[in-house]
Amino acid sequence: MAGIARGEDTAVGTGAPLGLMARRQYVALVTMRWRMVANNVRSVQGAFEFGARGVAFLIYSIMGLGLGFGLGAGAYSIVSGGHPQLVSALFWTVFLVWQALPIALASFQEQFDLSGLLRFPVNFSSFYVLNLVFGLVDVPTILGSICCLGILTGVTLARPALFGWTAFVLAIFALFNILLARTVLAWVDRWLARRRTREIVSAIFLLLMLSLQLLNPALHQQNRHHGARNSVTHPIGSDGFTEFPAWLKSAFAVVPWLPPGVAGSGVYRRASGDATAALESLGVLAIYIVATGALLGVRLHAEYRGEKLSEAPSAQKRNASDSRWLIDGSGPVAAVIEKELRTVPRSMPLLFAIGAPLLTVLVISTVFKNGALGGRPFQLAFPLCVCYALLGFTQMIFNNLGSEGTGIQMLFLSPTPIRKVLLAKNLFHGALFVSVAFLAGVLATLRLGEPNLTLLATTAAWVLFALPMNLAAGNLLSLTMPYRVNLGRISRQRGSQASALVSMLIQAIVMGCGVAVLAICTFFDKRWLAAPCLLVMAGVALVVWMRVLAHADVLANRNRDNLIATLAKTE
Amino acid sequence: MEIAAIQTHGLTRRFGALTAVQDVTFTVASGQFFGFLGPNGAGKSTTIKMLTGLLEPTAGTIEILGKPFTAGALDLKRQIGVVPEGMALLGRLTAPEYLRFVGRMYGLERETVNRRTEELLEFMQLADERRKLVTDFSHGMQKKLALAAAVIHGPRVLFLDEPFEGVDAIAAGMLKTMLQGMINRGATIFLTTHVLEIVERLCSHVAIIHQGRLVANGSLEELRAGVASTLPGTETEQKLTLEEMFLSIVGASGQEPAQELSWLA
Repeated sequence: MAGIARGEDTAVGTGAPLGLMARRQYVALVTMRWRMVANNVRSVQGAFEFGARGVAFLIYSIMGLGLGFGLGAGAYSIVSGGHPQLVSALFWTVFLVWQALPIALASFQEQFDLSGLLRFPVNFSSFYVLNLVFGLVDVPTILGSICCLGILTGVTLARPALFGWTAFVLAIFALFNILLARTVLAWVDRWLARRRTREIVSAIFLLLMLSLQLLNPALHQQNRHHGARNSVTHPIGSDGFTEFPAWLKSAFAVVPWLPPGVAGSGVYRRASGDATAALESLGVLAIYIVATGALLGVRLHAEYRGEKLSEAPSAQKRNASDSRWLIDGSGPVAAVIEKELRTVPRSMPLLFAIGAPLLTVLVISTVFKNGALGGRPFQLAFPLCVCYALLGFTQMIFNNLGSEGTGIQMLFLSPTPIRKVLLAKNLFHGALFVSVAFLAGVLATLRLGEPNLTLLATTAAWVLFALPMNLAAGNLLSLTMPYRVNLGRISRQRGSQASALVSMLIQAIVMGCGVAVLAICTFFDKRWLAAPCLLVMAGVALVVWMRVLAHADVLANRNRDNLIATLAKTE
Repeated sequence: MEIAAIQTHGLTRRFGALTAVQDVTFTVASGQFFGFLGPNGAGKSTTIKMLTGLLEPTAGTIEILGKPFTAGALDLKRQIGVVPEGMALLGRLTAPEYLRFVGRMYGLERETVNRRTEELLEFMQLADERRKLVTDFSHGMQKKLALAAAVIHGPRVLFLDEPFEGVDAIAAGMLKTMLQGMINRGATIFLTTHVLEIVERLCSHVAIIHQGRLVANGSLEELRAGVASTLPGTETEQKLTLEEMFLSIVGASGQEPAQELSWLA
């Protein structure tokens, strides 16, 4: 095949990222993606997925517009009010949106794994550019860009002279965010691929949870002392700042030097007429971009050289007791539960999906306790925290066959009915679901204090209602709209926007049912009635779940071709 | 009269306008080592998927061990073992964990599963890799594991879709011995492969599918005689190899490439 590189093909070369060869490759990739989209729409499921993406795009755009409008109003208010130093807070908001969403949405969005391109003569710079550019039209980038536009509009309306400079800073800031989001995902995948680093990441995650738990009371204590003396709380104000411990003051001192702070100060200093300082800020931001780009380069270069992200080989001979049975009993239900028990702890993305909402519960419970609503603790904070913690189960329950991969064929080949497989998965997920709900309840209680008995009973009854409802809907969705999940990676998943939308809708309905029952009972001043009502609904949900299980084999056989084709495909 | 291990009648599968398998009828007697051959895209994997319950036929019937076979025929599924096209492995388990899982899914007792898992790991030379996740196995190792999983429950009928692909020569030799041993003990094996030498050495009966239709079916001797009679100038039919017979039957014998690829070195 050496002849291919000779003759007419030598003209294109393989050098620069914008050389003829690279440009041809970019065009080929874009054409390939376009053809894939067009071909997908030919099937009913593909067309539905395409429609769901459109709906999701609309929803995210509306969310982005709302956020952008809010940030624009904030920017206008800050700049016209003569407090441009506060503009950094807006940049921090954009930063958090841009960086938090990619990991949260990674499982649901289709992402591109460009490592397959390495069998072609793609040079490293092209590979880098493609990794940066491909998939750029994703939710975080759309939301982040709209937020930036909002800030630009607000600043420009308040001070038209700042338009050019602010636009420039925001563009640089956007580039930094795109680079950072990709760098974080690339490195997280790398860390999670090795057992040792996965353990370290888990430890850091737990430490983070623990430190937040400790940080919140520390902040509260300071606020209470300060409030008692001055009757006014200034958490980070000039006076208030002196009240914090030295380590916390050091932490706050670092904040302006981090990228959102630097970008914000770039705008603020320009607004204050200090062009040199503004340029200095921009220079610091440029250093961040170079450093982040280099970190991404290190990771991509390893991949370019052919590194395979996988478990560190530990192929030493061990004795037979290495793989002990976890669950006694030979039955298929026990076998599936044991398989899940072995698989989930090996999948950091799944553990993260379950653990991250718990971390958020710590944060939001503190917000509620501090009196986010008119200075009074939010009464429904406890059930809200429990509900929120259960969101982490969305993918696990609503696509419960997604991680089987080619193993789905084994499930169909074996003499075990699919309903038994689903029953086993449901039992395992249900146990996890209840455990996490309990843990969320404990965390919320630690932060908010003991909930009253009626609210506790209502929350528990709602969990008992939500569980079978979610499992029933999850089984239906898993059999009809499956998508393949790689349990070893956070990024580059295939995902399904349609499944994500439907599952979110179902969860919203289940939560809405709980809220409606509680609201109606509260309206008639019979809040105690909410728990019995929800228990009755839980009974109905249980019957629904059992009926779905009973029909699972019929549904599975009807969708067998699609299940195998979707989950076992090796594209 | 002895019950046939596999019997199909008018087996057909359509994918929209495309008919992948059309009106395929054959019988595999118990204890036969049956080779199912065909060029790429001929319908081999589609047929094997229908025979194992992974794909529903559009028309026609399948009988396994004398009983009608459908996706819900769980008792029959206990009697068959399959190495499907995609190998059906679970990447996030280790080899012993996967074999134990499969054994339990087939309803084996705990002690039996443990014993057979160890024996199979040793036999397939995977015992040294017991801590490794299946996803990190080489293709050949995955193939060996898929084979081990297919036989852990002691099936009476074994379906193998390209079982020797990617397996090294030593392991392939051992596998052939194992399969021959199963045949000697009364099992039936339905094999699809492109390695005609293996079919010639192992199989007593062969069927050839081409463009979705069964174009030949019988013992190797019957096929040889049939092909020899159609080839002018063939003096001794014994000289025909399976490859020659195959090329003759699917009509590719003596064909030249449609055009010369002059730009190739």
